[in-house]
Amino acid sequence: MGPVEHLHMSVFSQSFSPCGRFLAAGNNYGEIAVFSLSSALSPDATDMSRKPILTFTAHEGPVFSLLSTDSHLLSAGNGEISAWTWAELIKRNTKAVWTRRPNYKSSLEIPEINAMTINPTENSLVIGGGDNNLHIMDLESGVFKSVLQGHTDYIHCLSVRERESEILSGGEDGAVRIWDCRTGQSVHCIEVYKYEDCARPQYGKWISCLTTDSDWMVLCGGGPYLSLWHLRSLSPTSIFPLSGCQRQATFYQDMILSVGEGQFVSHCLLGGEVKAQIPCTPHSLNTLALNLNSTENRVLTVGGSSHQIDVFANLSYRSFSLAF
Amino acid sequence: MSPPVIFNFNDAKDTFTASTRSALENKTSKPLINAFNQITGNETEKKTTLDQALRQVLEEQIVEKKALVDDFLSLIYLSIDGVTEGICSATTPFLLLGDVLDCLPLDQCDKIFSFVEENVSTWKSNSFYTAGKNYLLRMCNDLLRRLSKSQNTVFCGRIQLFLARLFPLSEKSGLNLQSQFNLDNITVFNKNEQESTLGQRPTEEKEDGMEVEEGEMGDEEPGTPAPCSIPIDYNLYRKFWTLQDYFRNPVQCYEKFSWMTFLKYSDETLAVFKSFKLDDMQASKRKLEELRTAGGEHVYFAKFLTSEKLMDLQLSDSNFRRHILLQYLILFQYLKGQVKFKSSSCVLNDDQCSWIEETTKLVYQLLREIPPDGDKFATMVERVLNTEENWNSWKNEGCPSFVKDRPVDDKPKRPTRKRQAPEDFLGKGPDRKVFMGNDELTRLWNLNHDNMAACQSEKREFMPSLEEFFEEAIEQADPANMVEDEYKVVHNSNYGWRALRLLSRRSPHFFQPTNQQFKSLDDYLESMVIKLAKELPKDLPSEEIKTGEEDDEDNGDTLLKESNDSPSMQAKQVTNQQMDEVAAKLGAQWKTLASQLDMKAAEIREIETDSEDVDMQAKLLLVCWQEREGTQATVDSLITALNNAGFPKIADILNET
Repeated sequence: MGPVEHLHMSVFSQSFSPCGRFLAAGNNYGEIAVFSLSSALSPDATDMSRKPILTFTAHEGPVFSLLSTDSHLLSAGNGEISAWTWAELIKRNTKAVWTRRPNYKSSLEIPEINAMTINPTENSLVIGGGDNNLHIMDLESGVFKSVLQGHTDYIHCLSVRERESEILSGGEDGAVRIWDCRTGQSVHCIEVYKYEDCARPQYGKWISCLTTDSDWMVLCGGGPYLSLWHLRSLSPTSIFPLSGCQRQATFYQDMILSVGEGQFVSHCLLGGEVKAQIPCTPHSLNTLALNLNSTENRVLTVGGSSHQIDVFANLSYRSFSLAF
Repeated sequence: MSPPVIFNFNDAKDTFTASTRSALENKTSKPLINAFNQITGNETEKKTTLDQALRQVLEEQIVEKKALVDDFLSLIYLSIDGVTEGICSATTPFLLLGDVLDCLPLDQCDKIFSFVEENVSTWKSNSFYTAGKNYLLRMCNDLLRRLSKSQNTVFCGRIQLFLARLFPLSEKSGLNLQSQFNLDNITVFNKNEQESTLGQRPTEEKEDGMEVEEGEMGDEEPGTPAPCSIPIDYNLYRKFWTLQDYFRNPVQCYEKFSWMTFLKYSDETLAVFKSFKLDDMQASKRKLEELRTAGGEHVYFAKFLTSEKLMDLQLSDSNFRRHILLQYLILFQYLKGQVKFKSSSCVLNDDQCSWIEETTKLVYQLLREIPPDGDKFATMVERVLNTEENWNSWKNEGCPSFVKDRPVDDKPKRPTRKRQAPEDFLGKGPDRKVFMGNDELTRLWNLNHDNMAACQSEKREFMPSLEEFFEEAIEQADPANMVEDEYKVVHNSNYGWRALRLLSRRSPHFFQPTNQQFKSLDDYLESMVIKLAKELPKDLPSEEIKTGEEDDEDNGDTLLKESNDSPSMQAKQVTNQQMDEVAAKLGAQWKTLASQLDMKAAEIREIETDSEDVDMQAKLLLVCWQEREGTQATVDSLITALNNAGFPKIADILNET
């Protein structure tokens, strides 16, 4: 991987291992790199500790989504999902345990998979991608149980509300749909661009990211502003004045962390103000991940349009960067 | 004749000891004074004996161990009274104090020291000061050595304050004359995890304004270093604490390699401060109130706590940040400042200077952003650092004393006149030469021993005339000569500057207002040259110059007189010869002139007593007048005085010479 490739690399997805000591990141070349966080955070870390312990090509196309279960790492790219066990990966064994593909209607075009999420109550994997549908796969058997239809354009992001057993999906068509897992029907459909406060018509109407905290949902678009919604009333409560598109957001303690266009990580308060914007290396960020699996490696990592992944030990400043 | 009484030391001492004890009991020094007066002997002998007696009493009191602090104090008061009465020597109270402090434990020393502090005015009074200051200094230093800076901070501070009040500011032993640094102040930090000390020490020290932790600290058993339970940024940790080494020893910054490291680490640290903005957390304010009202004093710790686990908390603390940023500002002030004791290799190059400038701006900006009251704090810091400059220059001058000497009054005049050197030396003798004691010097001095006249002589006139200077320019301005613009000398900036200076001194055109706007110096000079050309004498070949500009008819010649006119004769200093002549003519009537010359009656009396000869007296009067007037002792003023006194004939003589 020469310097030119490094220059054009974008990191699209990240996932932490269940033990919390490793980070897997996927880039636009279809590679997945595994970093050892514990050695990078140790007192005698060197530059070499910030390099991946393992890099391998997972897919032909970019790795848009990475997900970790209790023992497996799932990655999705161009229409197929592959799985590896973390134990094997740590031993540098890159043989995939399985690779599956949902049933697509047309076999001519293989739609990419943009988002994956796990529904823990039913132990199923929910996939959303370019064919405008959500596919649900049972993790034990590997069978694709159902297809949820409703979106009119491709799906960008997914999230799961465990308590109510609902799936939320946001897509290019500007709609956020709330699906009931058992019935497989779309219970609600929020067309965010129709709300004047949130909408930014100059950017379109598509929803780029979505995350929930049981009662609350944060969503942002390419289109609408990053906004906080109350799910029971299905109305927006706060709107954050961040410019540009936010590509990933997460709830953390009493803040919302969000990354997107712009060379910083935004810390937003629930009231609607942006508390801080912490500068980081990549000029535009695609992914944000918080390592809640381990206390001593509890860091925030962000990646984007750079081959470097910034690590924040203290959320308020960048500690160092891992590099592909 | 009875033989001289031998002074019996032991008897005297016993008597004194007994009377001291009774004095202590009765709380009055009368018994002691009586005893003193009764014993026969030499003053000094008696005094020294009393000193010994007092010390012995004190020793007994200390050895007894039952004595309270107050007893010691009353004995010392007694000795002070003794000094004021003149019965014991001035060093005794200090010796007693020294003895007491050496023998007592620290908590009792505290009380004794309060006594010392309260009586600072006594110590500063004349009878005690010279005798006792060294003793006091030694005593305080001994105490400071016994005390620990971190445990007994307040006591140490009191001692230092006492010393500061006792000694004048310029007391050399209290000053860091060589501008040395405390190189022992090393900040220790962990290079690897095994050295982590947090969890081993009992955590008594609290930091003010501790903010809510962002991480969780695992429960640590005291005594064993617990495994780290929060992610620690060792990178920043190490760089941050390495900076303290540069603050400890700023001279390192002048070396290239150390400077590069310092630069790198500082940039990183300041970038962290910049991105990690502090909130004005209301919660922490409440905590501060609680801390204070709980009766806790403001906690002071002498050294930074450098455990890596505290790093996060420290970064969120405003006071900590202020400490570090202030350290930067102080360091920069030292590096840029003029300190006499810096070696000549300690010079900053341009890059370093510009980095320091930028970083200073950044530091002030960061200071302003730190809540609470960031702006006020930053302005205050700036002002304090400015006043530091004054202290710095005071030190560079060798710490001169601040006590102003009283201005000298008229009294010394008498000795100077009595001691008037023989006239030969001062050039008043017949040769009019001033003898400098060395032939060569005499020759040089006598070339012209009036400095002002020498400076005004014709030979020192260096300013050229307008003709000379502008000759070349005028030639070039002649269109007939066809000199190209770039060769014209008026375009030379050096020439232009000198031309302006000359014009301001010699030419009235300089001050004439014109309507023309000159875009550059060259154009202005060209027009001036043309004006000048027209005025100059017509033997120059450039008289045919076509100007095409309107003539400013000027009567300006009269505006500016030549500045090097020799002063009119009347403004000259009165010479010795003139003074001799006037004195001879005045004779006994010099007193009339004296009043005209504003001589005081006292001075007149002095002149009378100085010399018997009236001529001499007259001469002395004139000399005195000349001394007083200095450069104002001109012929003019003497003539005026003479005329007013009614000596027109003498005035005429002066006029003629």
